[in-house]
Amino acid sequence: MTTSAADSTAVKTTAPTPVAGEPGPVGVMAHRWTHRHLLDVDVLSWADIELLLGTADAMAEVVAKRRSAEPVLRGTNVTILMYEASTRTRVSFEVAAKRLGATVVNVSSAGSSVTKGESLLDTMRTLESTGAEILVMRHATSGAPYLVAREFGGNVINAGDGWHAHPTQALLDLYTMRRHLVAPADRGSGLPFLRGRKVAIVGDLLHSRVARSNLWTLTAAGAEVWVAGPTPLLRGYDAWGRSGVGGAADRRFTVTSDLAAAIGDADVVMTLRIQKERMASGLLPSLGEYASRFGITSERLRLAKPGALVMHPGPMNEGVEIAAEVANGPQSVITEQVANGVPIRMALLSLIAGTRSAA
Amino acid sequence: MTLAPGARGVELGGSSDIGRKVDLDISRAWLVDPGSGREGPADLVVRDGVLEAATWLDGADAEGIDDRGVVVAPAFIDLHAHFREPGNAAAETIATGLAAAAHGGFGTVCLMPNTTPSMDTPWLLAGLREKVAASGSPVRALAYGAATAGRASETLAPIGALADAGVVGFSDDGSPIRSATLLRNALAYAGMFGLPVVDHPEDATLTEGAEANEGLISTVLGLKGWPGAAEAIAVERDLAILAEVVREVPGARLHLTHLSVAASLDLVRRAKAAGLPVSCDVTPHHLALADEWLAGSRRFAWEALDAEGRGRDPWRDGAITAPPYDSSLRVNPPLRSAVDARACLIALVDGTADAIATDHAPHSLVDKDVEFGLAASGISGIETALGLVLEAVDAGQLALARAISALTTGPARVLGTRAPAGSGALVEGEPAHLVVFDRADRWTVIADALASKGKNSPLLGRDLPGRVLLTLVGGRLAYAP
Repeated sequence: MTTSAADSTAVKTTAPTPVAGEPGPVGVMAHRWTHRHLLDVDVLSWADIELLLGTADAMAEVVAKRRSAEPVLRGTNVTILMYEASTRTRVSFEVAAKRLGATVVNVSSAGSSVTKGESLLDTMRTLESTGAEILVMRHATSGAPYLVAREFGGNVINAGDGWHAHPTQALLDLYTMRRHLVAPADRGSGLPFLRGRKVAIVGDLLHSRVARSNLWTLTAAGAEVWVAGPTPLLRGYDAWGRSGVGGAADRRFTVTSDLAAAIGDADVVMTLRIQKERMASGLLPSLGEYASRFGITSERLRLAKPGALVMHPGPMNEGVEIAAEVANGPQSVITEQVANGVPIRMALLSLIAGTRSAA
Repeated sequence: MTLAPGARGVELGGSSDIGRKVDLDISRAWLVDPGSGREGPADLVVRDGVLEAATWLDGADAEGIDDRGVVVAPAFIDLHAHFREPGNAAAETIATGLAAAAHGGFGTVCLMPNTTPSMDTPWLLAGLREKVAASGSPVRALAYGAATAGRASETLAPIGALADAGVVGFSDDGSPIRSATLLRNALAYAGMFGLPVVDHPEDATLTEGAEANEGLISTVLGLKGWPGAAEAIAVERDLAILAEVVREVPGARLHLTHLSVAASLDLVRRAKAAGLPVSCDVTPHHLALADEWLAGSRRFAWEALDAEGRGRDPWRDGAITAPPYDSSLRVNPPLRSAVDARACLIALVDGTADAIATDHAPHSLVDKDVEFGLAASGISGIETALGLVLEAVDAGQLALARAISALTTGPARVLGTRAPAGSGALVEGEPAHLVVFDRADRWTVIADALASKGKNSPLLGRDLPGRVLLTLVGGRLAYAP
């Protein structure tokens, strides 16, 4: 279903299946961004994604040439509200917002009245009354940004909510894959550019907002997606994989605890962080057992295609989910992922700024 | 006062003051009498609160009357409601709860003891009775006593003293009776008085931090899964204990409340077939709504099944029409799959489920208008119960007569000798306990339309069939528009 532009982001709609024959480069650039908030990637059409990636290309060029970007956020207050610790996401949003001329306010739960038990909505109202216009928020509870977006007068960008979604991470991951797997001349064709590509996501799927968001964007991009890990950490995914992302039969994915099958001939191997808390809750016997069976070592990486990309959303436990020599090896694009966070977030902020001036 | 003008009339003499005895003439309505198993066109006459005559119509008199318009039935009995006094009058008071019950067509409510403090001593019951009397409502408020002291699952509550004080059973609802030993002892002890232990079946080791029914929806939304096995395990445990206890204590009785998964209902079905003294209820929300509502679907559970009875993907169907994570949908047990909802309906149809109980759980905005995973569990449901059940009837999922019996004679049987005299039945010459509603008259659920202080309903903004026109309890007016 589709909804009107004004409220489309508040509704968790079916992400449209990529449609062959959508407009080419000209049409893509002519496509208009209508999402006031970005709470999840599930609302993004393929044209939205191409527009965002194309805008990020332009932002990356500006950054690379040390030119200054058009200050579309001059005079705009971007407040970054973090209820969970974050380094790369927070810094990346802050740099992106400042490059676009925004005034940036950082709020973290440790240094605010949040620790005194103030409700999320009260905190939001406080920030709004002190000038917040674009609210970038991270929260430990799935769905929290939807509550804020219901009441907030400005724009809400989800910087990670519980196990649910991490939209900008999935977009920068897709952007990173595109830079390596798609020739510049073929970018912006309007066609899903990961058709015929295999992407394996390995690790703790159960608790991963990065994996959930990547499933939406990677299947929208046409990738053949495999998810792998120890069975307790794959809980629930089998039914989703069989039904297909967004219920679309052409967006099914494969769920397995057979690591070799998952990464065999893969173009991309994405590993996820394994947290020590998982042992305490009885989901895994030990980190050592995880590393020995699911850790991405250089030996296992040879099962993937030669030159396959190795990705990780960070922070890493080297020696657990990924061997140090792989994380720092020639196939790793992990630091590039972090760097790509800036142009992606600049692109998102500028597109959202466009909805502000239109309103 | 004429409440439903036209050929089918409901004429209420005098004022609409709550609590007064009424004169009432109902002509050409559809009467459902679950006591006799009969339904059909009828006229009713009430004088000074007494049901003087209920006259079945036939031939030309009955022409043009069907079960799609004004329906008269015995006032409903709710086996499971939470009015928040003492302890949380901001969420509900006895008075607002009773008003809400009457608005929902209920003439009798059984209140759960998870107040603050817990209803685990007779003097707290005295306080409850004072508040009921002060409310002026004729709705009958019955009470469960706590099964364990402070509902802490450590020692037994004073079951005998509570029985003497008039409780209708014992429950730690809100929580399961975690200790199997205490459940066994509570069943045996309450069995001396022939009173049921009402268990909220949940294996807490499987539900720590759980947010949503485990399945496709919880996976896509990233909510911590609440497995159906958590309920089935507890049901199986309770039944195994009951089977042993009842050999020595013939009066022992177990009632399992708000069953929500197919596996639990199958266990109860088999236990009943084996002759165990067990009963159970299902809620309107568990039979009509499914977990896909958390994702923003707003179709009924029976609309979310394919021809083979398998659950459908709401994203595939384009059924997502509302924002996700509406905290009014957070409830314990959680909304289950459409397949489980169907199992609740089947259990009602085949009699495995004895009653429809609302689990009316009002909450204040402070506790509910927060992040989904932090929101208090519960749905304010006593005023929307009839509407949801009638949606199932309208959709052909449930016969009207069965829906009514599950709201009247079914719960009365669970209460046994402690059911209030005359409740759940239509008896000429006795004070009238009646609900009158119009199936064809839809009403919009908005916060101001709810008498309950709890506005935590996922149905806000939605139209429901079956506007209640009148609730009479003991011949006295409990509700009129």
